[in-house]
Order: sequence, then structure tokens, then C-alpha cells
Amino acid sequence: MEAKGIKKNTAIWIIAVLVLFVLSIILGIIMRLNQGGAVHLDPGTFYADMTIHGITMIGIWFVAGMAGVNFIMERYVKTSYRANTFALVMTVIGVVMLWVSTLIGDFHAGWTFLYPLPFKIAWSAWATPMFLWALAVLGVGWLVWVLSLMTALLKKYSISQVFAWQHFRNKNPEVETPPFILISMISLLGVLACLIAAVVLLVLLFAEYYSHGAFVNDALLIKNLTYFFGHTIANEMLYLGLAIIYELFPEISGRPKWKTTWYVAIAWNLTLFFVLLAFFHHLYMDFVQPEGLQIVGQLASYLASLPSAGVTVFSVIVAVYRTKIKWSLSNLLFFIGIAGWVIGGVGAVIDATISNNFLLHNTLWVPAHFHSYNAMGNVLFSLGFFHWFSVEYSKRKGPERLSSLKLSFLLLGGIGFLAAFYVAGAESVPRRYSSYPVEFTSAKLLATLGAVFATVYLIAIFLFVSSIFKRCINMVLHRS
Amino acid sequence: MHKYGLTSFLIFVCSFLVDAVAQPAAGWQETNINEVIYNAPLQIISGDHVSMHQLAAQNPLVVAFVFTRCSGICAPLIIQLKESLQFAPNIGNKKYNVLVISFDPRDSVKDMENMATRFNLQHEGNWKFAVTDSISRLISSVNFNPVWYEQTLQFDHDALLVGVNSQGFVTKKLLGLRNSKDIGLLINSINNVFSPTYRLPGQSNLFSCYNYNPKTGKNTPGLGMLFIALPAILSFSILIIIRLVSKSKSA
Repeated sequence: MEAKGIKKNTAIWIIAVLVLFVLSIILGIIMRLNQGGAVHLDPGTFYADMTIHGITMIGIWFVAGMAGVNFIMERYVKTSYRANTFALVMTVIGVVMLWVSTLIGDFHAGWTFLYPLPFKIAWSAWATPMFLWALAVLGVGWLVWVLSLMTALLKKYSISQVFAWQHFRNKNPEVETPPFILISMISLLGVLACLIAAVVLLVLLFAEYYSHGAFVNDALLIKNLTYFFGHTIANEMLYLGLAIIYELFPEISGRPKWKTTWYVAIAWNLTLFFVLLAFFHHLYMDFVQPEGLQIVGQLASYLASLPSAGVTVFSVIVAVYRTKIKWSLSNLLFFIGIAGWVIGGVGAVIDATISNNFLLHNTLWVPAHFHSYNAMGNVLFSLGFFHWFSVEYSKRKGPERLSSLKLSFLLLGGIGFLAAFYVAGAESVPRRYSSYPVEFTSAKLLATLGAVFATVYLIAIFLFVSSIFKRCINMVLHRS
Repeated sequence: MHKYGLTSFLIFVCSFLVDAVAQPAAGWQETNINEVIYNAPLQIISGDHVSMHQLAAQNPLVVAFVFTRCSGICAPLIIQLKESLQFAPNIGNKKYNVLVISFDPRDSVKDMENMATRFNLQHEGNWKFAVTDSISRLISSVNFNPVWYEQTLQFDHDALLVGVNSQGFVTKKLLGLRNSKDIGLLINSINNVFSPTYRLPGQSNLFSCYNYNPKTGKNTPGLGMLFIALPAILSFSILIIIRLVSKSKSA
């Protein structure tokens, strides 16, 4: 019964994610059109769009990864249906509150809601507490979900086993830790840390808000906590997607299951530790942050990303190079997604290098790299899972139509959309401008081109979504 | 368990809040930034009659508030400012005027002229000594509140320098006698050049990442640093606790 419940919940998660994804892409296109001068939004409306676009995208692709990991984890351990349902209900409530606070309340402090912006009220007064409470609702739901999955894993595996420490020395240990379990646990622990950071952050923000200024926060502390939460969750959601790939890529390709080796175990353990320190690279421009922490930020950015990316790319190349692969839409999406993740990761590491950051900080290079590993990375990881799940467990089976067209549109739209960001970033066009002054000669043209290519990407997503959507609806409505 | 942890944390925060509420608001050096200074009519010792905004439009201003019968901080403030301006870093090509204005309604233009002579500044082109008939509105626009003491016939007041850019906006306020580095930042700010500033810790600011000790001039890690480390420490602790509980249940 519970396994069926998890399956049904997974279908509901997919439907919710896809609906919100399409809406958020439309908001993104409107923003780029406004920057290009094709439409004219009031700056407050632009920033409300930017706020809801950013926070929705982060939220939905995090829960997409969690839903996928939860579903596959059922193969190894028994997970909690109640916790999954609780997270689903809390997510729906939280998202409604977020959309109301931004679209009706006009809250527009950005998805990072950097202190003290939420308290510089330039919108309906109720929108600030509603936005913060929405985050609290989401945080509680996700925290319960994460803890339940961690508990499920730790009932079966000891701490050393779940982190695959027995693989460091022993080539054939008595208990093997599947890579899916290793990467899931590493991601869940990272998510737990960043959700606790969010709890501390929200308590401090509520303390200032409800004390009416009697208690004042330290701006440096709040910025550190904001990026501990924001940067870490943006990275961990990628790792959740990678956990799914480690499990499904060989399976869908008709290849033997991937095993945890000593280098896979070491690489992912390094990621566990260093991803919690990498957020310091968001504070390079904060002159009061000690220099030592800035250097830690740069080193941790390298050490968190390079080993895990290295072993993942190596595993995928070994799996596909001169090997007969059963290609399907799902593993093609995984494959392209890995490429997008690596390209975005290289862009991120370039920006996380202090000497480069002086040039690239707050330029469009930043959205260029995070859209690379999200729109052309993590989104494809999850779309690959959604497609596999909907085909595998739906009664509406049949040949996948228009696969080449879908992938062509996705690649054309995605690459064009990202290129517009990268070129603008390299030309020092600033990010977070609702419209560009004439001094930025190429900014408007690039923004318009970005909007055109994003529309092509949206068409591809529509094509993908329609078939997945129908199968998932069918799964939810079907009684058995 | 988490519930108790959170409750304890909230009690901890609230216990500090009670103290914080009882204290007067601190850090008024950070008030009025980006606000327009009152456009007071000025009577300068050179004989010119200009408004504050007209003078600022000529060159951005460093405004010093003094009174001529001052037996306290006024003279050290002017002397220190004069010296600091000579040694301030990176201000070689920056424009500025220093406006020394009396906040004592009894002071006349002649009194201010004598004061300029006393400091040997009467012929310095970018030093302007002035009085105004709208002093109360001017000082309230920068939140400067001298208190008159009849017994000593003196004002109790802060040593305040206010930076005003050429559009008449307050860009920075400096409280106390400041060194050439701080004066350099002030000159940069009135020229609309980025000048790093950081909110001063006050009674209501409890969890600073660093605590500045004015006696030693050094920063030491504050409670805020613990908060940054807290999520990682708690996560690993929770991991161990879950495993121990699971193990004991299965046993």
C-alpha cells in the first residue's frame, strides 16, 4: 500500500513540478523581453517576477530530485509515505503563500531576500511576513522529509557503510554500498545542513521583524547564513539528480549496474565536506569577511565540484565509449544533462576564482553558469527520470513520438538562451537590471535573443511535458 | 528534541531582546545616509550668501559642526581634520570643500572669522566658515542634538563630520576624532566613489560575527561565527543520533 502511495505521490510531485516549471519559464521570458525593451514592466513588477521565478525554480527542482530519490530508494529501504505526503502538502501551501506574497503582495526582494531588503518595505506590508512564513512552511515540510529518508537509510546502513568508507581500502568489501545510496546520503546530509541554516536565518529575521527594530541583525551573519542555505541547496539538488543517474543510466542503457569504487567513495566524501564551505565564494565582495574565509571559499569550490564531476564524467564516458548502448529519451536526457552540468560547473569554478570574480561578479556570467547546470543540467536529470517513471509505471504505454524534434528544440533553445547570457556576462553586462541604460550597447539585443531562444526551449518543454503529464495524470486517477 | 532546542534558542534570543529594548538606539552615525541635508541659507565669512545646496553643487562638502566659545572638542576636531586632510590616502584628485558651521545662535560672522584666523585657515580656499539663521532645522536634518548646560555655559555635543555630495545628499557621517584613513573614505563617499562601511555594533545587535575592541583595535570572533558553524555541527550530530537510536531499536 505504502509503495503504491509513494508511486502516486511521485506522479503528483511530477505534475506539480511541471506546471510550476512552465509558469516560471514564462516569467523568465517576460523578464528577458523587458530587458530587451520589447515589453515594459514597472521595475517593481520585474523584481517580483524575478523573485518568484528564482525561488520557484530552486524549490521545484529540489523537490523533483527528492521525489525521484525517494521513489528509487524504495528499492533498497522502506521509506515513509507519511513524510512524503506531509512534504507534498507543506510544499503546496508554501508555494501558494510565496506566489501570493509576490504576485499580489508585490514582494520583490529577490529569491535570496538579502538582508535588509525584506525590511525595506516597498510593497504591501503583509507580504514580507507572508514570504518569510512561506519559507518556514516549506522548510518544515522538507526538513521532515529529509530526516525521514536519512532515518530509513540509517536503519539499514551504519554511518561508515552509508558513506562507503569501507571502500577506501578494500576493493571487495563485505558490505557494498551502492553509489545511489552513497550519493543520496551525502546529498541528504548537505540538505539537512542548509535547511538548519535556513531555520537559524528565519528565526533571526523573525526576531528583527517582530521586535520592530529593538533587535537588529548583523548583516554579515545574515549574508553568510543566506548563502549557506541558498548556495548549498542549489548544489545538493544537482547531487540528488546525479544519485538518480548513477542508478538509472546503466539500467536504462542495458549495462551492468555501476559499483562504488575507492575513487567514487573518496570523491563524494570530499563533496560532502567541501560543499558546506563553498558558499563563502558569494562573499568575495564583502570586505569585512576575513581574507582566510575567502581563500577557503575558493579552495572549497574546487574541491567540492572537481572530484565528483571527474568521477561522474569518467563513469559516463566509460559506460558509453565504444559500447553498445540502448539509447532512449531518458538516458539521452541524462547524457546531455551531464554535459550541461559540467559546462555550468566550469563556468561556476571560473567565477569562484577570486581574481576572476573581480571582473565577473554580478554580471550576467552568474545567471549564465547557474542556468547552464540547471536548465541544461538538473532539469534534464529530472526530465529523464520523469520520462522513465511515466513510461515504466503507466498503463498508457506506446512509442515515444517526436523524440528527435523534442531534443533538437531543447538543445537549440537551451544553448541559444545560455549563449546570450554568457556573451553578455563576458561583456560585463550587469545582472538584476530591469532595463539597461544605453551605455550597455549589446545588452538589449542579447536579452531579446535570449527571450527568443528561451521560447524555443519552452516549446520543447511543452512537447516533453504533454506526454509525461498525461501519463502521470492517468497514474494519479487510476485506482489500482 | 528539535522542538526543545528551538524553544531554548528562542528563549535565549528573547532574553537578549528584553535588554535590548531597554537601551537607547545606538549607531546614529548610520542615520540620515542618502537623505537630503536641509538647504540652509549660509553667511560665509568671505561675505558670500549661498544656500547649502548651492555650496555643495560647487564642490561636495565636509560639514563640521562647532561653536566659537567651545572649550571642549571643537578645536581638536578642526585641528585633527586639517591634519588628516593632508595625509588622507587616495584623495589627490577629489574635489571637496570643508564647511565649518556654528550651531550656536549667538555666534556671528565675525566670531567665525576669528575662529578661522585662530586655526590659520582664513585664506584656505576650500575651507568655508559660516553661520546660518536656520541652525535648528539644519542640525535636525542630520540628527545632531547639542544640549545646552547653563552651569558651564557650554553645549554638550558630539564631534560630528557630515559628508554631503554635490546633489545635497548625506553620504557618510563620522563621529569623534577620526584618522586620515577615515577622512579619505569620507572624501571618496562625497565624490560618489564606493567607500566601504559597516554598521557599528549596538546594544540591539546581539550576534555580530566579530566584536571590535576599541582599546586594542582588534576584532575577535563573535557569537555570529558560531551560528555559521551551527548548521554543520547540528547536522552531523543529528546523523549520529539517528543512527544510535535506529541501532538501539533494532537491537
